[in-house]
Amino acid sequence: MDETLAEFIKRTIMKIPITEMMSILKAWDFLSEKQLQTVNFRQRKESLVQDLVLLCEERRASIHDAALLDIIYTQFHRHQKVWDVFQMSKEPGEDIDLFDMEQFKSSFVKILQRALKNVTVSFRDAEENAIWIRIAWGTQYRKPNQYKPVYVVYYSQTPYAFTSSCPLKSNMPLLGQALTVASNHHKIVKMDLRSRYLDSLKAIVFKQYNRTFETHNSTVPLQDRTLELDIHMDSRIIHENRIEKERVQRVTQETFGDYPQPRLEFAQYKLETKFRSDLNGDILAERKEPLRCLIKFSSPHLLEALKALAPAGIADAPLSPLLTCIPNKGMNYFKIRDK
Amino acid sequence: MEWANDGKSRGGVLAHLERLEIQVNRSRKNSEDLQRAQAVEGTLRTKIHKLRCLRDELRAEAKQRQARVKASAANVEPDQTLEISEQEVAERRRENVKAILRAYRFTGLSGKLTSRGVCVCISTAFEGNLLDSYFVDLVIQKPLRIHHHSIPVFIPLEEISAKYLQTNIQHFLFCLCEYLNAYAGRKYQADRLQSDFAAFLAGPLRRNSLCNLLSFTYKVEPRGQSVPFCARLLYKDLTTTLPTDVTVTYEGTDALSPSLEEQRASHENLFFSKPLHQVFTSFARKGEKLDMSLVS
Repeated sequence: MDETLAEFIKRTIMKIPITEMMSILKAWDFLSEKQLQTVNFRQRKESLVQDLVLLCEERRASIHDAALLDIIYTQFHRHQKVWDVFQMSKEPGEDIDLFDMEQFKSSFVKILQRALKNVTVSFRDAEENAIWIRIAWGTQYRKPNQYKPVYVVYYSQTPYAFTSSCPLKSNMPLLGQALTVASNHHKIVKMDLRSRYLDSLKAIVFKQYNRTFETHNSTVPLQDRTLELDIHMDSRIIHENRIEKERVQRVTQETFGDYPQPRLEFAQYKLETKFRSDLNGDILAERKEPLRCLIKFSSPHLLEALKALAPAGIADAPLSPLLTCIPNKGMNYFKIRDK
Repeated sequence: MEWANDGKSRGGVLAHLERLEIQVNRSRKNSEDLQRAQAVEGTLRTKIHKLRCLRDELRAEAKQRQARVKASAANVEPDQTLEISEQEVAERRRENVKAILRAYRFTGLSGKLTSRGVCVCISTAFEGNLLDSYFVDLVIQKPLRIHHHSIPVFIPLEEISAKYLQTNIQHFLFCLCEYLNAYAGRKYQADRLQSDFAAFLAGPLRRNSLCNLLSFTYKVEPRGQSVPFCARLLYKDLTTTLPTDVTVTYEGTDALSPSLEEQRASHENLFFSKPLHQVFTSFARKGEKLDMSLVS
């Protein structure tokens, strides 16, 4: 095991919080039970990491083993990356997709290695027929940089792939091509959707965020909810605008539903429009060129925050469709121009 | 008792007196018995009389009550009593209908009207086992559109709705049912193979989201020394639960003996014609038969 590899393994293990150390090492399944038993997990982290690296050396860890550990760490800490979404499409009338995972993997690696000799590709199968791919890029003359890998999560026989934002943007077209060809698709397009929350992105594009369906087996009628406003209130309090409050509740419920919203941190609107003003003779209104501005809404949980706006009295209901269409359209980046 | 046999000859007057005494006692006893019996008879007679009186009283009361009920029924509030029973009948009927609506799930295709349209429920099944249910919430507008659904993303919903949703909603639903039931059936077979027949597999079962490509290495006898075969099943028709392409190969360097070649070919046929888990059940049964023959 050479120095660079040992250093990489050391730094990867260092990232792991002590509380997760055991579960991640077990998931990695590289060090044996016997070896793990010899380690004192209560010592200081630096010494613990040194012991573990020695054990990895004993077992002759390769770059692929280290890459696998990196994938597992990222799976546990997926929120640390920002994920983009790509959508692939097929030619109409193409044959049924007989997706073979092994064929996909070998095809994917072949395409990358044909273009770039120095590249490390690692795979880890995940639940629901998904696969996590880790790619460390090098150049023709330099070995792959293990500290700036790209991750791709792909669910077989779907048109969507999720990638962690890549600092080396020049390699993205190659990655896109490899994904497209290996998964039997024709074209790939980047969606205007980005978030740290991979599971929410999946819920949005797979349209899995609204799981409430009316059946004869469900019992709660919708009317009960409007009474909730009054039941918990003191009887000495009179709501003067109760009707309006109920209308706002109803409209909010129709727009956002009763389910927990998928989690996004921001929505960004790039406006390139002419300035619109009520006042006549406004200087800005006379400009011939469109105004350019960027509006960004940020929140720890943007969609829940938007849902709470009208009931809190901060905004009118119904909200602008530009805000409410986010999960439906699968976009949180918008470019708005004059028609 | 010797004296009694002698009769009048012995004892003379004393004996005669004794005899007379016995006679009197006897007759007294008899009359006492008679009296007692008569007394009992008397008490029984009075008891009978009392019971008869009570019966007559009760009969009379029962008649009176009936008459009263009839009178009140024909009286001021006849509607209320009728209404109550009508309400009960209506409640019972409503509960019955609700139960039927809930049971409709078992037909495979059911639905409930919503404020904006209808929410259709497709309940999949395979070989009599009820599997997952999927929903499509439709908004009844021109054009008809899907509000939200729980169809998995790898089922070609967009294709099917583009073809049939606007023109023939029945066909749309039946087509979707076909795809979903076939998917559920294929998934059921793959799950059964992985869970119930893991002992026969010599490696992991390779599958994909649609369960339309299955690849595995198996042995006919889990513990025995039988030859491992590799099977590759392709389901090119997404509306069926049986494969369209089957290849069974032998992963060895030596050529197969004729008997093994026969076995390989017969396995290929089995995979074509029977669901996956049934094929392995028959392998398991053959194995049991072999064990039995070894024992006997």
